Amino acid sequence: MIKKLFVVFKKDFLTSRRDFMTVYIMVVPLVLAVIITLFAPGLNDTTVNLAMLKSDDTQHIEYMEQFAKVELFSSVEEMERRVLKRDDIAAIAPKGDGYEIILQGNENDIIETYAVMLNTLYELGSTREETTAQLISFGRTVPPLKTKLVNMLISMTIMLSGMLIAISIVEEKFENTINALNVTPISQTGFVLGKSLLGGVVAMAGIICAVLITGFYDVNWFMILLVGFTSMMLSFIIGFLQGIGSDDVMEAAAGVKMIMLPIAGSIAGYEFLADNWQWTMYWSPFYWAYKANNMILSKTADWGTVLLCTGIVIGLSLLVYIAALPKIRKGLS
Amino acid sequence: MISVKNLSHAYIKGGNLAVNNISFEVSKGETFGFLGPSGAGKSTTQGVLTGLLKQQSGEVSVAGYDTKKVQNERFNKIGVSFEQSNVYGKLTAKENLDFYAKLFDVPTRDSEELIRLVGLDGKENVRVGEFSKGMKHRLTFARSMINHPELWFLDEPTTGLDPTIAATIKDIIKEQTAKGVTTFLTTHNMYIADELCDRVAFIIDGVIKLIDTPKNLKLQYGQKLIDIEYIKDDQVVKETLKTIDEQDRKRIGEIVNTYDIQTMHSKEATLEEIFIQVTGRGLV
Repeated sequence: MIKKLFVVFKKDFLTSRRDFMTVYIMVVPLVLAVIITLFAPGLNDTTVNLAMLKSDDTQHIEYMEQFAKVELFSSVEEMERRVLKRDDIAAIAPKGDGYEIILQGNENDIIETYAVMLNTLYELGSTREETTAQLISFGRTVPPLKTKLVNMLISMTIMLSGMLIAISIVEEKFENTINALNVTPISQTGFVLGKSLLGGVVAMAGIICAVLITGFYDVNWFMILLVGFTSMMLSFIIGFLQGIGSDDVMEAAAGVKMIMLPIAGSIAGYEFLADNWQWTMYWSPFYWAYKANNMILSKTADWGTVLLCTGIVIGLSLLVYIAALPKIRKGLS
Repeated sequence: MISVKNLSHAYIKGGNLAVNNISFEVSKGETFGFLGPSGAGKSTTQGVLTGLLKQQSGEVSVAGYDTKKVQNERFNKIGVSFEQSNVYGKLTAKENLDFYAKLFDVPTRDSEELIRLVGLDGKENVRVGEFSKGMKHRLTFARSMINHPELWFLDEPTTGLDPTIAATIKDIIKEQTAKGVTTFLTTHNMYIADELCDRVAFIIDGVIKLIDTPKNLKLQYGQKLIDIEYIKDDQVVKETLKTIDEQDRKRIGEIVNTYDIQTMHSKEATLEEIFIQVTGRGLV
């Protein structure tokens, strides 16, 4: 049985490698992981840009350079031209006994506040060492947005693996090869598991690559792979159902996307809904998988919570599986 | 090798029966032809025998296995060639056969040897998507032999093939039969059935009308036919008449005495003509 599963997997992998759409599905999570990695350093960049005059007090410039990125100009006119450019930058120019702050007017409020407060602190002669506040850091080095993006990428990789199965089934139907397989000693269960193996390997490899490429080397790998493995179930069931119910690859791909839309919506719900409305998303296994992965990637997960989330994912997926099984069996006959 | 008793099958519960209470047996080493026009119930019967359709009633035993029970290992003894080719277009001919070979638990034939056998030499490493319909059909046929089957189901094995290739396929079937392989041949081509089958069954509207050897059928139904072509009203008219039938004999005399005879040949009835005679229907 196991040998035959791998025979089906090997054949599916070979045919997938020769199809543009399936290659795209396999490669796109990796490309997105690279893109997230390239853009991640800038995701939480809150550095404020300031424009100052070269003729300004050296002490003033040095003070500001400790807390902001400072660009120096020869004249006020040059500074004004710089301020009028597209990005956010505040100019600080001496005027009389004090200073004037020049803004374009459409900057983020924080830029204005930051420039004003920083200049006030300089005028008051305050230094960082004078603070009475104790600095406590949890040592997080990863921007929260990056964590969310990687988590979404993991969910997407799992959803795409379902699409891979749907396409594979549609091709079997199109070429009428399911009948040919039905007159060999491989059982229907063996065939289903063999097909799932392709989706499983692609999904797990995608998750591992995505996590590695984006630099989350030190996550709890057992936890992340467990969540990935359990959340694949629903994606596979959807893949089989769509594969059986569709007549061509485009229809199958569109069908999977349509079904995945509300599931992706549950992930958005996790991020944007208020706590008292979170329960409305409890129906979605991907909600629980996303929630678990969020904690794992943020390194705040404990085994109790992860096992609870995966248990809910398995339970919900099993309900869908029981409902879908007769249709899957009939479709593959 | 095959035993079917009172088999019926309907595609819709309570609907028309595609196969209606049929019974027959196929002995080990026999080539059994299942003949009938499209929609007669041939493929439905083969579907039940091969397990592709769920058995709804009756008793069916194939290669010693009860088809009501799911026993996938029975396919180690069975080969099935489908009417419509069903091979993977993205795999090469060799990859296709190697894939199927690995699904069996019994020793299998060399894929390259089988590819050569059906006249696809040099195409081993060509993707099947580039094959013509006939080439795909030949590969499907070759695949059905991959596991040295004891029981071989052939559904229209020569349909769509040019005469030379069809002759090759027929030779392969004869060769396998000579080795003792039991063959269940489903076809609407009576010439192939006549040439290859030890016994034939005529099926129409889901009912088997008769089962006999082609020789007996010819002796029983097809004696002494005469094809006559004659000129009547400046036009060539053709008639086929039986010499054993009193009315036909009178008609022969009438034609000979009245008209200008162009050609006159005595001949043996074909299975197709016997089929029409027995069932009252043609084969298409």
